Amino acid sequence: MVTEFETKLLGAMMMIIMLGMGASLTWRDFLIAFRKPKGVLIGLLSQYLIMPFLGFALAMGLGLSPGWTLGLILMACMPGGTTSNIFTYFSKAVLALSIMMTSVSTLVALVMVPALLEFYSNAAGLGSEFKIPATNVAQVLVVLLVPTLIGMLTRKLNPNIGATLELLGGLMGIAVILFLVVTWIPRNHMLLASTPWQVYFSAIGLGLFGMALGYLLARGFKQDPNRSRTIALETGIQNGPMAVLIVTLSITGAMQQDVLLIPVLYSLFIVISSSVVTVFFRRMSIRESLARDQRKVGSVMTSR
Amino acid sequence: MNTPSSHPRPWHAAAAAAGIPAELPSPQHSSIAALVHERCAHFAQRRPKHKAFTCVMPNGMNGSLTYGQVDALSDAFAGYLRSVLGLQAGDRVAVQMPNSLGYPVAAFGVFKAGCVLVNTNPLYTANEMVHQFNDAGVKALVIIDMFADKLPEVLAQTQVQHVVVCSIAEFFPVVPRGIIRAVQKVWSRVLPPVTVPHTRLKTALALGRDTLAQTPAATLWQRIGPDALAVLQYTGGTTGVSKGAMLTHSNLLHNVQQMLAMGGSFMKEDEECVLTALPLYHIFAFTANLLGFLVLGGRNILVPSPRPVQNLQRAVENYPITWITGVNTLYNGLLNEEWFVAYPPKHLKASIAGGTALHDAVAERWREVTQTPIAEGYGLTETSPVVSFNPLSGDVRLGSIGVPSPGTDVRLVQEDGQEAPVGQPGEIWVRGPQVMPGYWNNPSETALVMKDGWFATGDIGVMSDDGFFKIVDRKKDMVLVSGFNVYPNEVEEVIAQMDAVLEVAVIGVPDATTGEAVRAYVVPNPEHGQTVDVASVMAHCKQQLTSYKVPKQIEIREELPKSPVGKVLRKDLKAEAAAALNTRS
Repeated sequence: MVTEFETKLLGAMMMIIMLGMGASLTWRDFLIAFRKPKGVLIGLLSQYLIMPFLGFALAMGLGLSPGWTLGLILMACMPGGTTSNIFTYFSKAVLALSIMMTSVSTLVALVMVPALLEFYSNAAGLGSEFKIPATNVAQVLVVLLVPTLIGMLTRKLNPNIGATLELLGGLMGIAVILFLVVTWIPRNHMLLASTPWQVYFSAIGLGLFGMALGYLLARGFKQDPNRSRTIALETGIQNGPMAVLIVTLSITGAMQQDVLLIPVLYSLFIVISSSVVTVFFRRMSIRESLARDQRKVGSVMTSR
Repeated sequence: MNTPSSHPRPWHAAAAAAGIPAELPSPQHSSIAALVHERCAHFAQRRPKHKAFTCVMPNGMNGSLTYGQVDALSDAFAGYLRSVLGLQAGDRVAVQMPNSLGYPVAAFGVFKAGCVLVNTNPLYTANEMVHQFNDAGVKALVIIDMFADKLPEVLAQTQVQHVVVCSIAEFFPVVPRGIIRAVQKVWSRVLPPVTVPHTRLKTALALGRDTLAQTPAATLWQRIGPDALAVLQYTGGTTGVSKGAMLTHSNLLHNVQQMLAMGGSFMKEDEECVLTALPLYHIFAFTANLLGFLVLGGRNILVPSPRPVQNLQRAVENYPITWITGVNTLYNGLLNEEWFVAYPPKHLKASIAGGTALHDAVAERWREVTQTPIAEGYGLTETSPVVSFNPLSGDVRLGSIGVPSPGTDVRLVQEDGQEAPVGQPGEIWVRGPQVMPGYWNNPSETALVMKDGWFATGDIGVMSDDGFFKIVDRKKDMVLVSGFNVYPNEVEEVIAQMDAVLEVAVIGVPDATTGEAVRAYVVPNPEHGQTVDVASVMAHCKQQLTSYKVPKQIEIREELPKSPVGKVLRKDLKAEAAAALNTRS
């Protein structure tokens, strides 16, 4: 169980994360992104087409219980997480694209998340007690848009506060996960020990398979390897804290524990798997730039 | 040789047509210190809250100083130098920092103390610092903390007695300052411990302020006259040996006036906000941005590092930029940024390009994207720097460095010492109130360039019949292919026309059959769909150039070596080519 106080604290942290995301943005960024929308569109496709289906397929394939299924589907329908920007930075991938994808997917979430959640909950045949009302999800998202807008406005009015918020928001993404580690795991270690492998597999697999599929999709649309890596990270890294918040605000009682399990596990493991993938991506980036250097050496030509 | 007074000056008519006078009155102020103080006091009184300088970090964090603050802080620094450290008028003080709020405080403080400013590149190696400090006889050094790790080695080999350390976020509000310091220290690890005896700028200012009651700052500079030395500006110059160009107060005061006259109606008091992406320790930004826009009561937006060009985004977005000064590479870089092209600064009035040739392709595109004029000027360290400029109000001529600024005399001298006829190339010789008296402690180098009051620039130029000049190339960069002169600029210009080319540099390399051969280094534009290969560049050159000018060798690379202001360093490419040749043989 998550206490009333913890829910509020989580909500406050989420607000700061969204303030920070807002402060990393300007209206112009959106307008520029839509002039050359290919990258962002591929991102949206992988975020809202591949990921939800992946979550649904994992739940069905592994025969998860209704509570776990709901948690997994919710997690899969979430927009991109702000921590993806940090991992993108360290992977030497395209930071501007990452920030844009996170922001656009968060805005689009207002419509897409309730709709997809409804669709896949029905497809999974979840009973009415295992449903999160669409209005609930939409409400949480609308409430989170307010700090996003305040963040954008702050950056415009006072760039110093804006940049501070941006930094704070990035750190808060990590802080939420630490918070979960410190508060949630000790109280639930019994539960973790008795959790079947299928749950772990789906919580970890959602992120890893998501990255792999995102990468393949981007390559299929002829994005260069570096942009493809950006899209991969963005696809695999979902907004975990947001899912946790939606569950704690929408579901009470014993069922909450059940539904919460996968979003929490996902949030914990995505940090680890993203770190591993980042190391790997970084190596690929460096190897590619070395290969470019190699080609240059051979390019001196004599014409006469 | 023609007598200087008899040569034709057709540019007077062109300047007059653009409303630019042929001569200017003598400057009103006797020194830079007097100018700085008078202007600061004037604007502080009239617009107390108006910001004189704003330093903008890549993430948008910023700090500002008003005119009143700049005046008071530089007074305090002058007090520190003279009354606390005991320096005398005329003593040399080196200032070594990237663009930040500490720069105007330190530099103006040096002038107000009656001392001589030695502008030093913060990226210098310990050896370069030692050479420059010893040559100039530097007694005190103001240095950015990021590069303090070189100090133990440097101080041991020089006469520098006093070290003042400042930080990039100096004078920022406390929270951003703390965050920037923490990030520098813990994250990017660019803050080495300062292991030599030193004073922090904040402390120095507090100590200096306390002395002003007894010895007001004005008493320190009142007796400094226009002919006193103001700045030692080091340059490789025409011969490659690093030497200090002596710029007097009069040189700089005149050049500021000349520059403002060329800006004409495009520069208005109280209205301007200039993007200072070029380093202030370089003479171009020093005179044009720091001094010129101070006279106008403008706001200087200081960017500590313009590379990558992305670093400029917040500065351009957050402030109403009316002017940009830059070099070809900066303009080219901005034109390759999506955010800039989609939303060019909407208050922009005009831009000045100098330092190196502005490519026609870049100039045209800049006009198209920003809908404002970009004018190329010409100058050198030895001339404070402005020599000539395109009048903005007239038709700005592509590829031309414009007409000489008011009070400046220019002539073109051929190798036989005769004046070059109109349309024929000759070395550019300059005479005017902005020309330095000579190099510091270096009569032999001075004698090589100062001839009967004329400064021989080492640049080859041509003049049109109406007095507009064009740079053909640096004398020493000329390539001699089978006895024919090839000017690298011309070849670069042709290759830069290709859309898929981001940047290009051309040099001469030794060649067994032709003596020298043309070699081009081409940087492809990653944003452009088509790829550049050796064959396509070659084909383009063959179509556009006479055969002896076509590069014999073409190399595709990711980037070109550049100077701190972003000039492409042909000499580094030449050295590289020579080294490669030696290892092969």
